Amino acid sequence: MLSFEPTEEQRLMRDSVGDFARATLGAHAREHEAMRGVPDAVRRAAFELGLGTMDLPEDAGGQGLGLVTTVLLEEELGRADAAAAFALAGPGAFGTAVAELARPLERAALLAPFASAEAGHARFGAVGWSELRPNAERAGMSTVAVRDGAGYRLSGHKAFVHNAGLAERVLVVAQVEPERGWDGLGAFVVPTDAPGVTIGARHATVGLDCAWFGELGLDAVSVPAAARLEPEGSFTAALVRFFAKRALVVAARAVGLAGRAYDMARSYCDERVAFGKPIGHFQAVAFELADRHMDVESARWLLWRAAWHWDGAQPERAALGASAAATAHALEVAMRTADACVGLHGGIGFVRDLLAEKLMRDAKQMALACPTALLCDQLAAAVEVGAPLDPAAVLPTPEAQAIFVC
Amino acid sequence: MIDFQLTDKQRQLKDALEGLGRHVVRPQSLAWDRDHTVSEAFLRQFMGMARAFAGEGSAERFLGTGEEPGAGHGADRGAPRGKPSQANRTAAVGAEALAWCDAALLLAMPGPGLGGPPVRSTGTPEQRQRFFGIFKDMSQELRWGAYGLTEPGAGSDVAAIRTTCVKDGDAWVLNGRKCYITNGARAAWTVIFATVDHRLGRAGHRAFVVEKGTPGFSVGKIEDKMGLRASETAELVLEDCRVPEANLLGGADAHASKEGFMTAMKTFDTTRPLVGAMACGIGRAAYEHARYFVRERYLLSRPIPRYAALAERLARVGRRLEAARALVHHAVYLADLEQQNAKEASMAKAYAGQAAVHACTEAIDLCGAHGTLAGSDQLLEKWFRDIKVFDIFEGTGNIQRVVIAKRIVSGLKAF
Ligand SMILES: Cc1cc2nc3c(=O)[nH]c(=O)nc-3n(C[C@H](O)[C@H](O)[C@H](O)COP(=O)(O)OP(=O)(O)OC[C@H]3O[C@@H](n4cnc5c(N)ncnc54)[C@H](O)[C@@H]3O)c2cc1C
Ligand SMILES: Cc1cc2nc3c(=O)[nH]c(=O)nc-3n(C[C@H](O)[C@H](O)[C@H](O)COP(=O)(O)OP(=O)(O)OC[C@H]3O[C@@H](n4cnc5c(N)ncnc54)[C@H](O)[C@@H]3O)c2cc1C
Repeated sequence: MLSFEPTEEQRLMRDSVGDFARATLGAHAREHEAMRGVPDAVRRAAFELGLGTMDLPEDAGGQGLGLVTTVLLEEELGRADAAAAFALAGPGAFGTAVAELARPLERAALLAPFASAEAGHARFGAVGWSELRPNAERAGMSTVAVRDGAGYRLSGHKAFVHNAGLAERVLVVAQVEPERGWDGLGAFVVPTDAPGVTIGARHATVGLDCAWFGELGLDAVSVPAAARLEPEGSFTAALVRFFAKRALVVAARAVGLAGRAYDMARSYCDERVAFGKPIGHFQAVAFELADRHMDVESARWLLWRAAWHWDGAQPERAALGASAAATAHALEVAMRTADACVGLHGGIGFVRDLLAEKLMRDAKQMALACPTALLCDQLAAAVEVGAPLDPAAVLPTPEAQAIFVC
Repeated sequence: MIDFQLTDKQRQLKDALEGLGRHVVRPQSLAWDRDHTVSEAFLRQFMGMARAFAGEGSAERFLGTGEEPGAGHGADRGAPRGKPSQANRTAAVGAEALAWCDAALLLAMPGPGLGGPPVRSTGTPEQRQRFFGIFKDMSQELRWGAYGLTEPGAGSDVAAIRTTCVKDGDAWVLNGRKCYITNGARAAWTVIFATVDHRLGRAGHRAFVVEKGTPGFSVGKIEDKMGLRASETAELVLEDCRVPEANLLGGADAHASKEGFMTAMKTFDTTRPLVGAMACGIGRAAYEHARYFVRERYLLSRPIPRYAALAERLARVGRRLEAARALVHHAVYLADLEQQNAKEASMAKAYAGQAAVHACTEAIDLCGAHGTLAGSDQLLEKWFRDIKVFDIFEGTGNIQRVVIAKRIVSGLKAF
């Protein structure tokens, strides 16, 4: 039955996460921005609320809350401070990737450390996917994994890796069969203290600078055969699922940010007087607000719909299509709304006294923090016209757009 | 005859400035942005270089350092009619090129800045001499002028300013607060707009040149901004500030009617296209960066699936910037012909502001995560931070549309 109503339980969770987010993240957004991270105490509080592992299956150490609940809660984080949401600890993209790519026993072992009462609040996951430039000679990753006795040797360079400098293990995607192009990838769990692993300098970014982004070098890093994750079904299909699901978490933060920007703009348009009336009474302003309101609401409904597709076990292709649409829309809406928020504030929108300018920078960064809108459209189009999901077209490969994964 | 060619001089100016931009300015841009300032030593050096390249006269025009019209106001008014001047066009070419280098540097350049046009258009000959005179020799000390109109409660709605001026003997006493004033703290003088009685609306406005150090005239807060961080944006406070009658712009006569005030406002017709030109410069910098990136990273010998989509997006960015530049050049063309260009000036500013915001936003997407990284050879994120205000200051996008609409919709009085 069609409903836009969260359950009572979801509402309670949303309220408590919202309270936490406002008081702990939102109220200190500029401090966290300046310190380029969140304090340990905040991470611990978030961990105790169960943030970070909510979407993971219970057999993988998670809370098994499902994606619908996850996006409801992530939206609260994004609304308070999307940048801080990316700086909290937890398995993050690593968790989603392991959940999709690993067998049940492996994933329990890999994710258990994140649930540790003593250390879980300070454990980060990372996924090494992006590369600085496309491989000029062939399709596929330039980072390679070659057979070496019983195990593999990994060499290459991964870029824009979220948490590379903080994680104990990184899930690295490398080319195992070079001749098979994007169908020849493999995933490996690499400890960051393994010989041959180098962590590059942390990048300074236009937005979400609270989170750690940087590079990861792999120089003939040896890993045992067991480090390779092989799902039961198709590897490529699992990879696409990983991107689609993880993107919904980012999209939820984007919707939160957009909602915040919209609310700020709307109340400012009520208060600010020019030419003898509140600026919201000018049609150009009112229409802009109306457009952004449609944007934010529709982005939220698309997000819920996509999450529902996964939780409700809808056909996988439909869930992928819904996720792609939701993500693309949310990312674009966040940028448009934050941009409008700055514009509607006039001069003060450009000044750091208000959060408007930060929302605009964070929104821009977020658009590159998961499969981009353009790529999502590519996936949605493939689903719509019934084309096979060519990994070269639907994975965020460095060939079309360098992106990083959160 | 329809002709879009730049003159040789204009082309040389553009090339010279962009050469400086590439080799001298941009390598330092990010450091200035972080330090919130451009060193005086560099400003001095840069003025020298720009003059050497552009020739004394033209440099004064686009830097606006001279008493001579930098832009508009009938550049060659009084000169024998013949070939129309290209002063405004040259100024637009220079402004675009300099903003392409670094827009914050352009705003930080010594000279009267936005304060220049009202003094030029409304000032008495004595005032013009006195206030522009200080920029003639800056070998000992760099000097700036500023334009103080905006107040906390009045930005778009200029007529709502509340800074008061009361005549007291041979002086005027000013009280109020101005905000977001470019170069406001360092300026040797600032054109301050005040009102004798706010109920009179614009007819009650007076413009004063208030000199630094005048008792009662102080600097409030310096703003911490998203972008243009090397350009100073200051709050100015006037508390029983006594300004000599001689500093009332245009003298008492000029302000006898609403007309007087309108002259001061008309300066927008010449500055708006230049602000549009600057936006084009930043937008073009972003566009070229993305174009280079797409060529270097994605144009491989083997086919890649999404290349076409990227190329199309890039083309749209380029097209909108070309359209914006065409509007800018049309607006300055009319100014050079001394024709009415209020509508065209607003069109240039509104369209260029938006096209350039679009260009910077899209350019980051086209470069992916690379585009978001800050680095001295990676200024895209800085341009993205700099550009948004071009859709806000000198009249927001909406205000430009009000100006345009009033001139194309019959009988439209107000919004
Ligand atoms: C297929 C069809 C079905 C319709 N069905 C219904 C119906 O079931 N019930 C009903 O009541 N009406 C119906 N209408 C009429 C419709 O509501 C009107 O056409 C519409 O309200 C526009 O009014 P108008 O024709 O008087 O144009 P105007 O009001 O003169 O508007 C002309 C143009 O100006 C724009 N405009 C008008 N006012 C403003 C404003 N304040 N700000 C900005 N732009 C403005 C309009 O968008 C339009 O583009 C229908 C129309 C069509 C074509
Ligand atoms: C970096 C920077 C430098 C600046 N430098 C200077 C300077 O040197 N000198 C100076 O005097 N000022 C300067 N300003 C101020 C600038 O010109 C104003 O901020 C600008 O004019 C907008 O005014 P406001 O901020 O009061 O916004 P408001 O006027 O409050 O506008 C808020 C929003 O309402 C909209 N709006 C207002 N009226 C209408 C309407 N009738 N119809 C539709 N929409 C409307 C606007 O478009 C805007 O989106 C600077 C500002 C900045 C940020």
